[in-house]
Amino acid sequence: MLDVARLSVSYGKHVALTDVSIRVATGEAVVILGANGAGKSSLLKAIAGLVQPAPGAGVALDDKPLTGIPAHEVLEAGIALVPEGRGIFGDLTVSENLDLGAYAHRARKEAPRNRDLVYQLFPRLVERRHQRVATMSGGEQQMVAIGRALMSAPRLLMLDEPSLGLAPVMVGELFSALKQIRHAGMALLIVEQSVRKSLDLADRGYVLEAGRMVGNGTAASLREDPVVQRAFLGMAADA
Amino acid sequence: MLVTTIINGLVLGGTYALLAMGLTIQYGIARIMNLAYGETIIAAAFLAFVLNSTLGVAPLVSLLVAAPAGFALSYLIYGLMLHPLVKRSKGRASLEVDSILATFGLLFVIQGVMLVFFGGNYISYTYMNFGIDILGSSVAANRLTALILALVLGGGLYLLLTRTLWGTALRAVSVAPQSAPLVGIDADRAARFAFALGGALATCGGVVISMYQTFTASSGVIFTMKALIVVILGGVGNLAGALSAGLLLGLVETLVATYVSPGLTLAAVYFIFLGVLLWRPSGLFGRAR
Ligand SMILES: Nc1ncnc2c1ncn2[C@@H]1O[C@H](COP(=O)(O)OP(=O)(O)O)[C@@H](O)[C@H]1O
Ligand SMILES: [Mg+2]
Repeated sequence: MLDVARLSVSYGKHVALTDVSIRVATGEAVVILGANGAGKSSLLKAIAGLVQPAPGAGVALDDKPLTGIPAHEVLEAGIALVPEGRGIFGDLTVSENLDLGAYAHRARKEAPRNRDLVYQLFPRLVERRHQRVATMSGGEQQMVAIGRALMSAPRLLMLDEPSLGLAPVMVGELFSALKQIRHAGMALLIVEQSVRKSLDLADRGYVLEAGRMVGNGTAASLREDPVVQRAFLGMAADA
Repeated sequence: MLVTTIINGLVLGGTYALLAMGLTIQYGIARIMNLAYGETIIAAAFLAFVLNSTLGVAPLVSLLVAAPAGFALSYLIYGLMLHPLVKRSKGRASLEVDSILATFGLLFVIQGVMLVFFGGNYISYTYMNFGIDILGSSVAANRLTALILALVLGGGLYLLLTRTLWGTALRAVSVAPQSAPLVGIDADRAARFAFALGGALATCGGVVISMYQTFTASSGVIFTMKALIVVILGGVGNLAGALSAGLLLGLVETLVATYVSPGLTLAAVYFIFLGVLLWRPSGLFGRAR
């Protein structure tokens, strides 16, 4: 479904990504692993159209080319991003944020149904729907951010470190919600610090290091990979 | 006497509120500090004057011309002159400086054209110039109409921005422009529309003003200033704040002019303005909403 080929991103002279290629199949959950500064956010932003990749890259959703298309049209094509830091509209209420999630033409007709689904997934948002999101806790804001992305009825949902800064209880709640989203058949592309939890959720994963793809495989094989274990799962090399 | 004064204050205040809402939309959503805003107002006042004195068109009808014209011209100005600045700007601060300089130039162009056509004289025309009895006091019918117009237009805009998805999208752009594309909003297009909408409000305000005030080709600066003061008093980007601060300013000006001295109105305005800047820098009514 999503096909990313030879993607490079630079910020001025600084090269953040070099020749990265990934794929996500329909309904598949894929995780991107990598240390801080490896280029994970740059990858998601380039797919979302928020940063321009270097010439020669190819991003396509089901053969519809998306390279060089502005972010609002990428969303219209069916890819939603929950960015690092959430990117919600702090001064607006929960329900206004969700309404805006369905601003895209692709989502307007199904908005009432999708709103019900979001409220089912995050019942806590129902009683808070008239609250300004800036006044809510980090976990609740993350629910708004994910809910807002779901309102656009995406075919692929991208999440950039959704558990960052959340209390452990909240992280558990977040991952069970993501599992439900995944079981509903939506494709996921997720960048996470909670590597163990995200490998449990994912079918496959890629490993980024200093802007280059250095490994990939099924979630099970990555869990067993000594490099991954040492770097991300906090295990000793010989364990 | 008091009733007349209060109603006159509300008329002036309603006009200020209307003008400030347009400016706060242009600044809050399109992120353009438009120094030529007052000239747009005065241009519309001249339009109403010309239509009235040559063709006998009532200002209420002139609104039907002025609003779309203000929208279209502002849309064009944004596209031709301001969008290139937005595209090359590296951040909010640099765009602010660029747009202030560019619209400062525009101010003189529009003002110059008006001076050529109309000279520097004070202009007015008579419209609904009869008294209406309210609680035993007589209030000019044209002022009453101006107040109703300001409330209807301002209220309509408020509902448009708070009760429709389109308006909510505009407010979203004002809150977090970098996040707008994440929900499929074309932030560029939203900015262009917001600037045009602000221009339409300015021209409506100009027609309203021409109904009960005299004006000259060079009065624009005063209106830009008053609108700016109201925007800051109400809290930048805060529509309800602009509405309340506008009414308050109009009341204060009229009360001071009537009961203290007409020469002290500006002093009173700046006194309040300074006080708010010093003690409540985010405006009387706080954060944008
Ligand atoms: N806007 C930017 N301007 C300049 N450099 C950036 C910018 N964003 C990211 N970088 C740099 O690009 C590299 C990759 O960043 P990022 O994609 O955020 O990595 P990650 O999400 O894996 O931590 C880092 O070295 C970072 O400093
Ligand atoms: Mg990151």
